[in-house]
Amino acid sequence: MKALLSWIKDYVDVDVDVQTLCDKLVGIGFEVEEVIYLGENIENVVAGRIEKIDRHPDADKLIVCQINVGDEMLQIVTGANNVKEGDIVPVAKHGSKLPNGMSIKKGKLRGVESFGMLCSGEELCITNDNYPGADVYGILILDKDTPIGMDIKPVLGLDDYVLDIGITSNRPDCQSIIGIAREVAVALGKQFKMPDYSYTTDNSTSVNDLVNVEVSATDLCPTYLMAGVKDVKIAKSPLWMTRRLKAVGLHGISNMVDITNYVLWEMGQPMHAFDHDDIKDNQIIVRRAQDGEQIVPFDEKTYVLDNDVLVIADKERAVGLAGIMGGRNSGIKETTKTVVFEAAEFRKENIRKSSRKLGIRSDSSARFEKGVNSYMTRLALARAMQLCQQLGCGTCVDGLIDLSVKECKKTLLTFKYARIKKLLGISVPKDVVINILQTLGIQTTIENNVVSCLIPEYRDDLERDCDIIEEIIRVYGYDHITPTLLEKASITKGGKTKRQVYIDKAKEVLTGIGANEIITYAFFGKSSVDKLLAPQDSELYNLIRITNPLGEEVSCMRTTLVPGMLSILATNQSRANQSATLFEFGKAFKPHSLPLTELPDEVETLTIGLYGKGDFFLLKGIIAFMLKELGCEFDVVRSKETYLHPGISADIIVNDEKIGCFGEVHPQVAKNFELAQTTYIASIDFDKLSKHANQAVSYKAIAKFPAVERDLSLVVNDDVAVGDLIKASKQNIHILEEVKLFDVYKGNQVEQGKKSVSLSFKFRSENKTLTDNEIEKQMKKILSTLQNNFDAKLR
Amino acid sequence: MLNDKIKQLVETCIARISNIDEMSANDLQKIKSESLGKNSELQNMLKSMRDLSPEERPAFGQLVNEARKTLESAFAEAEAKMKEKVLNEKLQKETVDITLPYQSVSCEERGHLHPVNLVANEIMDIFKGLGFEVLEGPEIETDYYCFEALNIPKNHPARDAQDTFYIAEDIVLRTHTSPNQVRVMEKKQPPIKMLCPGKVYRSDDDASHSPMFHQIEGLVVDKNVTLCDLMGTLETFAQSLFNEQTKARFRPSFFPFTEPSVEVDLTCSNCGGKGCKLCKGTGWIEVLGAGMVNPKVLENCGIDSTKYTGYAFGMGLERIAMIKYGIPNIKLFFENDVRFLKQFR
Repeated sequence: MKALLSWIKDYVDVDVDVQTLCDKLVGIGFEVEEVIYLGENIENVVAGRIEKIDRHPDADKLIVCQINVGDEMLQIVTGANNVKEGDIVPVAKHGSKLPNGMSIKKGKLRGVESFGMLCSGEELCITNDNYPGADVYGILILDKDTPIGMDIKPVLGLDDYVLDIGITSNRPDCQSIIGIAREVAVALGKQFKMPDYSYTTDNSTSVNDLVNVEVSATDLCPTYLMAGVKDVKIAKSPLWMTRRLKAVGLHGISNMVDITNYVLWEMGQPMHAFDHDDIKDNQIIVRRAQDGEQIVPFDEKTYVLDNDVLVIADKERAVGLAGIMGGRNSGIKETTKTVVFEAAEFRKENIRKSSRKLGIRSDSSARFEKGVNSYMTRLALARAMQLCQQLGCGTCVDGLIDLSVKECKKTLLTFKYARIKKLLGISVPKDVVINILQTLGIQTTIENNVVSCLIPEYRDDLERDCDIIEEIIRVYGYDHITPTLLEKASITKGGKTKRQVYIDKAKEVLTGIGANEIITYAFFGKSSVDKLLAPQDSELYNLIRITNPLGEEVSCMRTTLVPGMLSILATNQSRANQSATLFEFGKAFKPHSLPLTELPDEVETLTIGLYGKGDFFLLKGIIAFMLKELGCEFDVVRSKETYLHPGISADIIVNDEKIGCFGEVHPQVAKNFELAQTTYIASIDFDKLSKHANQAVSYKAIAKFPAVERDLSLVVNDDVAVGDLIKASKQNIHILEEVKLFDVYKGNQVEQGKKSVSLSFKFRSENKTLTDNEIEKQMKKILSTLQNNFDAKLR
Repeated sequence: MLNDKIKQLVETCIARISNIDEMSANDLQKIKSESLGKNSELQNMLKSMRDLSPEERPAFGQLVNEARKTLESAFAEAEAKMKEKVLNEKLQKETVDITLPYQSVSCEERGHLHPVNLVANEIMDIFKGLGFEVLEGPEIETDYYCFEALNIPKNHPARDAQDTFYIAEDIVLRTHTSPNQVRVMEKKQPPIKMLCPGKVYRSDDDASHSPMFHQIEGLVVDKNVTLCDLMGTLETFAQSLFNEQTKARFRPSFFPFTEPSVEVDLTCSNCGGKGCKLCKGTGWIEVLGAGMVNPKVLENCGIDSTKYTGYAFGMGLERIAMIKYGIPNIKLFFENDVRFLKQFR
């Protein structure tokens, strides 16, 4: 909300500087986003009178002026041809600055010294709204009463500030100069006064003679008011008005239109002025549009409406989009003789919807969306009539058409005084409470420890005790709040859920082995799944789409974290980072059905990716480390994941359930993601893993008896998995503590298609020292198992 | 006569390359040059065209060209298959015994958590000590939990402040972690002390905004919870996260789900409140939003607002991390360059 300081000052006495005012406003909850000085960048420019004009001796198009700037006479050469002796003009003296970025220095023009420059309106960045004649091509000619030597800024009305104030959505009443002024009064402890809204009427005509109003859609328009002005003389508005409109970003059009804009800004109430002669049969109807009905508002485009859009219509046609924009067929023009003003309350939800649907946003719709108040509607209409009279725009006719479905009155709110301390934690003295609320316009008494507040009509946001308590503390000051630490609250047990504890544990292992955590966007494009070579019926294609994405590549919620990890690994490779081991925890989104009718499953997923050092077996090691810490044992089987190398990849099986997979990235996928180096990746469903995780630990006695080791070298077919050999050896031999692989050999020494596997077996008993005999027996058993199951031969 | 010959030629050739599996890449190349090369029969036939009468030539030329096209596309298909076969054979050859024992893991330096999670963990540790439970909620939320239950009705201007990603009319990507307040309060009666970290989404992507970022939300509901407790909690938190001298300052603000609502500034961790570039000379940094839980929200969740009061606060984790570590740009968090990630511990 842009508020002009001098405008605010009409309604409250501001006796502090701008910075102090801004600080005070921030203190009571109004953020001042920007302070703009209107005369910014105009320096050393004054009003001067041209005493004498001579021709330039060496240039036909130049003249030499002798200018009185009060304390001295300056000689200035100019090319302008609209000045004459006796004119008062803006003079940029030596060393002056102009808002267009120019700085003026003395110099010689064709041999004649010039000590400055005469300015045009354009050079001062002003328009006719700021000063009459500013739009003229040539030097700006000032009023002949302008004091000589006076700084130009006050002359042009630029010695003023615009405060751009952030208004929170609960305070639509502050979307106006008077709303801000009211708060300024509170901040400064001053009295606020309302604008003058008294006017006299000509009783020979009544507004009821001009129009007859019917509101058929009272659900969308709870308040509709009209008043009339006859014998209208359309003219320019006075300078003080156009200057104010310009300062807040509008511009002067004509007195009647300017009044509606002025009231909008000052009172926060959008107004509309109809040319009475355009209203067919003097009948105004506020109704829903018919489906397909068309209208051409001021922006001259044609809009097709539907039943949800509210229009102002006469007997035959729509003459305005209610609260959004007036119709071209009924606006104010130079020939307008009689005007009816509209001030209404339209439902904010409906205006918001219609404005969005039609794609029209106006100052009016913006204000209605935030919510206007029917109490202010009356005052605003009166203010518009008063301004008409003050500006001499015409004669105010008698009467007011008032169609309101609700009565507008102050409401009573009571609550226990103790509630203040209960919420704030500090006591605010009763007289302070009363005083603060009174300055806010809330009539307050405290009797029998009950606070009774009479809420002003314009404060729709004050509904409950906590709303009032907020008003008290924001004015009393948050610096009165003293920190306490839940001294009177219950003791509670803090902590994380089991899943979070498991995640923390996994992260501990992963960071411990040198992996860094990454976070990637949770959305991707369908192409990310394509790049994984996923088959068309893959569940990775069950994509939840965002209806308003920022782009195709971020339009779907990820069903897998693999593309995110691969992209980051590729980024690191392209940035010449030699190696990286990364991991990410995040949600993969799995819908129950598409399009989504219920919330999807959000599967906690872990990806681990690495390149530059290590291989498949390092990644396997990392996974093994992590699973061990989570109390899980796992098996591997060959994986069929399309994005993994078919021969260098495995599914991770825990208690017969697949919880994930890992391996080398398939060369085609690597190409798709622009991975230049051999890259390994794991993807683990952490929710599934968590179910198998086991944190319970029970002590096992430390072995008392020595272990005995035996080695065995076997030749088996190349396709026999070493893991299967180890697993089979362990079967049914309880004193076998550990089996370790210490060599695999393929080559000249063994037959083609075979390999030699050397295993080391460690035996130990809990209750005695094992004898050679016992061990030999077990070794035989193992050998025969391996011979029978794997056709293993002793080497 | 010639027509038949051409037809037969094409058929024989296609038959020869139909069985890719039993062929090597070289075999295929050889057949291709035999069928389409300089000395191929097809070329020879083209040469023999000069023996034909000028009337016969165009028709015959077209026939040969069609045959060539058919063969070329057959070869292209075969070559693609061959490429796949060669790749699969290569991959087959590279096959390892996946059951072999894993490599023992060692590293020269520890890895680190992502700075956002590092900060989140630190914050969770602080609040765990104060008796807060960490409870997470879904990232895809219903309109009800994300807005309505938090006193932000449909078409309320407060929705403008949060650019929402929509999945369906009533399903959104959560714009804040606050919906989990409602989920927790619906399930649980006071005393409640909870903390909810997580990802949030807003359709905003520019130099200082990321469409996905992280928040952490705190909620306390109990008898006798006051604004002074909120101030004390946040000051304790800030002192643990930054340093012992950190002070908190409240500025009045508005959130539909808290009343009173405040913006919380902390003394600038960079200059200690003297004023510097980071705090734009004010000595204070805006860090979080907070307030006393709006009784309407308590009532929406079935909690007696005459008996209980509560406070809630929420903060952006990227912002905290940027302040704490001096990270200049939010985009760095999601680039995940290892040289960036390695720095935080």
